[in-house]
Amino acid sequence: MEKYLDILNVAIYGSAVLLMLIGLYGALTKKSLIKIVLGLSILDSGVHLLMIAIGYLKDGTAPIFSAGNEEKMSVMVDPIPQALVLTAIVIGFGVTAVAISLVIRLYRHHNTLRIDEIKKLKW
Amino acid sequence: MVGSPVLFVAIPLLAAFIIPLTGMIWKNSVRIIPGLVLAFMFALSISLMGYVSEHGTIVEVIAGWKPPIGINLVFSPFTGFLTMLMTFLGFMVWLYSYKFKRNVDFEPSMKYFILLMLLVTGSVGIVLTGDIFNMFVFIEIVSISGYGLTSFYTRRDSAEAAFKFLFMGAIASTFLLIAIMIIYSQLGTLNIADIAEKMPLMDNKLKVLSLVFFILAIGVEAEIFPLNGWAPDVYTQAPGPIGAAFAGIVVKAAIYASVRLVYTMYDFGGAFDLFIIIGLITFIVAETTALRQDRLKRMLAYSSIGQMGLVMIAFGIGTKEGVYAALFLMFNHAIIKSLLFFSGSYLVFNKKNKYIKHVNGMGKYLPITSVLFTIGSFAIIGLPPFSGFWSKLAVLTAAADSKMVILIAVILIISILEAVYYLRVVNRIYFFDKKEKTETQKPSINALIAMICLGIIVLVIGFYPDLISGYLDRAATDLMDKGNYIKEVLTINK
Repeated sequence: MEKYLDILNVAIYGSAVLLMLIGLYGALTKKSLIKIVLGLSILDSGVHLLMIAIGYLKDGTAPIFSAGNEEKMSVMVDPIPQALVLTAIVIGFGVTAVAISLVIRLYRHHNTLRIDEIKKLKW
Repeated sequence: MVGSPVLFVAIPLLAAFIIPLTGMIWKNSVRIIPGLVLAFMFALSISLMGYVSEHGTIVEVIAGWKPPIGINLVFSPFTGFLTMLMTFLGFMVWLYSYKFKRNVDFEPSMKYFILLMLLVTGSVGIVLTGDIFNMFVFIEIVSISGYGLTSFYTRRDSAEAAFKFLFMGAIASTFLLIAIMIIYSQLGTLNIADIAEKMPLMDNKLKVLSLVFFILAIGVEAEIFPLNGWAPDVYTQAPGPIGAAFAGIVVKAAIYASVRLVYTMYDFGGAFDLFIIIGLITFIVAETTALRQDRLKRMLAYSSIGQMGLVMIAFGIGTKEGVYAALFLMFNHAIIKSLLFFSGSYLVFNKKNKYIKHVNGMGKYLPITSVLFTIGSFAIIGLPPFSGFWSKLAVLTAAADSKMVILIAVILIISILEAVYYLRVVNRIYFFDKKEKTETQKPSINALIAMICLGIIVLVIGFYPDLISGYLDRAATDLMDKGNYIKEVLTINK
């Protein structure tokens, strides 16, 4: 029972989901292009936090093997989600950079940042 | 074995980053190196296909970590066939755009070839990898280079199309990450074969949830119906050859990813029905929308989406005949749609909005390009002497074998719509008079060679479909044999 009520667990998973929802809300409802990019970025951070939370272990140590430390193997945190999240952060950074440069291009072309005024291409 | 599958990822990636350096010394190397690399990759894929048909699947272990721990590349008859198709099309796209911006400026052409190399790297990587996180990375490589190529022309509304694409792609990539994390948290592995083996252990609710996230994420690249809003804009705004690259290379890779998920990783049969339903909706909506387009490239884009719907339907039938038909369709669509994009670009060259009415009377001014466009149109409708006929026939017989009568009826009815809008364009090319006195652009010699090559393939496969049916048959058998895939990847001894 104690495992399920662990405050830290709830806080981390809760904030990850909350971040994702905030990001989705921002990306889907805001009219300003900059705010949309911000929303996408927050959505990304939420997912990254979720990934880190999956690899978390209470009282775990860093996943490094060293002499005289072999018995601690069972309490090491899982390193794979951390490796994955590093890759994902870099990719997220790349996408955000491309998005911002596209926003600059859009602003020069249309002279506005409001997405509802940019509608030359239609379904 | 002459080479290893890892070269398919390593060499184009290296070439993409070495081009700017060699470009400083010799400017033409920027154009020549990508062609050499793509030709080499195509030759390598053919020789590896020969090896695979004799000795069985090649599983390449990277950095000495055996699966399921390390990353591995799988070159089986199925993935090898797609690699061969993609590298061939990559080479054709290069040949067509060899003189791209040659007399205008050095910088844009360099960027174009770098992004093209990255696009091919990512697509081939998606097909060859045996690891879902690796697949995510390759999908992102494809997407980011796709955004760059879409926003290539600053004069057009390309930034708008690219932003639309980016918005959907970014949300899709987070969904993909969530799906990967659900799988990892339940099964503790990222290797596709290992996941497929352990899948029965997973809770059914989480299984469905992760599959939904996967389909939502990959569906964006695969142009599945509600997620394909970006496609028509991207096809119209990106440079002409890139339309062919998207239709022939990127979308094929995404379809491969979704097929690998449903056929190998997940173990419930309901997913096949999902494929048929999604495919039918995509097919019907796209083909009816294509009917009322007044711009040529937009029409081709919707036709491309519709063909992808047909591929999904064929995969959803779930029998070996269905897979065979789907692979045949993918092959034909890649060749024919590239031919249509290549020749269509010249028919509406230099026209601002690229309306269909601009092709009026082009039969007299650009005779060879017009004939090639006509061959492509007839082939994609499925008229008998061309290659498209055999693939459509294969879909219909596969559906008939599975007693899906309604499916046959729908495919045939929608094919009539397809015939209407393609023949409308062909009619305008030959039987309308050219009104305004605008300049026409003669295709450059390399573009002409690329188009004629594709046209010849359409005709040759139309007369001798047996030339590739051996490849297709082995690929279909390979995909259907899930246990064999798991065994080959997990019991590798090296």
